[in-house]
Amino acid sequence: MAHIPDGVLSTPVLLAGAVVSAAGVAFGLRRLDPVRVPRVAVLSAVLFIASLVHLPAGPASVHLLLNGLAGIVLGSAAFPAMLVALLLQAVLFGFGGVVVLGVNTMDMAVPALAAGMVFRLAWTGGDPRRAAVLGAVAGGGAVLLTAVMVGGVLAASGREFATAARVVVLTHLPVMAVEAVFTAAAVALLARVKPEMLTSGAARPA
Amino acid sequence: MIRLALAATLLLAAPAEAHKLKLFAAAEGAVIVGTAYFSGGDAARGLTGRVLAPDGAEIATFNTGEDGGFRIEALSRMDHTLSVDGGDGHVASTTVAAAELPRSLPASPLSGMVMSPPAAPSAAADMPVAATDAIEAAVARQIRPLRQQLDAYEDKVRLHDLIGGVGTIFGLFGIYAWVSARRRSR
Repeated sequence: MAHIPDGVLSTPVLLAGAVVSAAGVAFGLRRLDPVRVPRVAVLSAVLFIASLVHLPAGPASVHLLLNGLAGIVLGSAAFPAMLVALLLQAVLFGFGGVVVLGVNTMDMAVPALAAGMVFRLAWTGGDPRRAAVLGAVAGGGAVLLTAVMVGGVLAASGREFATAARVVVLTHLPVMAVEAVFTAAAVALLARVKPEMLTSGAARPA
Repeated sequence: MIRLALAATLLLAAPAEAHKLKLFAAAEGAVIVGTAYFSGGDAARGLTGRVLAPDGAEIATFNTGEDGGFRIEALSRMDHTLSVDGGDGHVASTTVAAAELPRSLPASPLSGMVMSPPAAPSAAADMPVAATDAIEAAVARQIRPLRQQLDAYEDKVRLHDLIGGVGTIFGLFGIYAWVSARRRSR
């Protein structure tokens, strides 16, 4: 859940999130090759819709995040993609607040970047099965990291970290599982039909 | 095969459901009745809620039941702000306006704390108020499901929102691509 509504977080946390996200978006856009903009747009649209894929999880209900997949395919361009997707979710669906957009973007995009980096370090082309396993790790790991970060920002705003983190991480265990399977399937498919999408990210070839 | 499975997953998922805490409350006579639920309709069970006076002071706390429902006795005729906290960063709040509550309640928020009955000047003047209260409570009870449905409907994600959002995303990135292409060609 990276849809924290307005009025939950304290001002310093909001500011910190906004600064991190602004820096991330600027960095992502500067490294973005104009030829790859359509790819970012497609992933942004997927992220936007992913929050509507809804899974019952015990007492609560959760939805896919897909930030691991975004990080693998987009690299640093995950930041602008995430920002646009979250902005439209906030405006059109009322998921999450507008003021907390920076924090929500940070909670989603930083794990995405981490997942993408781990994936690209470990996979440089070749066996799609290996890519699938790595995709599962990256997808599940990104969700876990997002949940921990959400718990963290809640704690930084004066809530007890242990409680907040436990609730958030527990409700996200099923998402982690589903997300790992989903990311693995998507990555295996890409590794087979379009491996260059996985190895390059959306950055200019250095 | 995988592509088919992915498409099936996406299609089977009900697009109207998503994870957002909602709170609905309305007055039925002097009782504030409401429910807490996740957008999509799942009840938010066992959450702790707070009732705040207009000046921000906490008047009472309540817990949501198995169906996410709760009842609170209003002690004075003022705006009651209700808020629930899911503990994981989900919060929701709503306000029951003073105008919804019966006129027989004391107006001052302070006198509401002590259960002082409204000073009845005479039985004759009190009668119509009691009758109006009963009618108001009955009407409120009748239209509450309707209001609740409307409240939920307002928040439903509809297909045109979805398509509009996707279109906006492509438009935004299209503009970005156009601007950066112009910058490059110069």
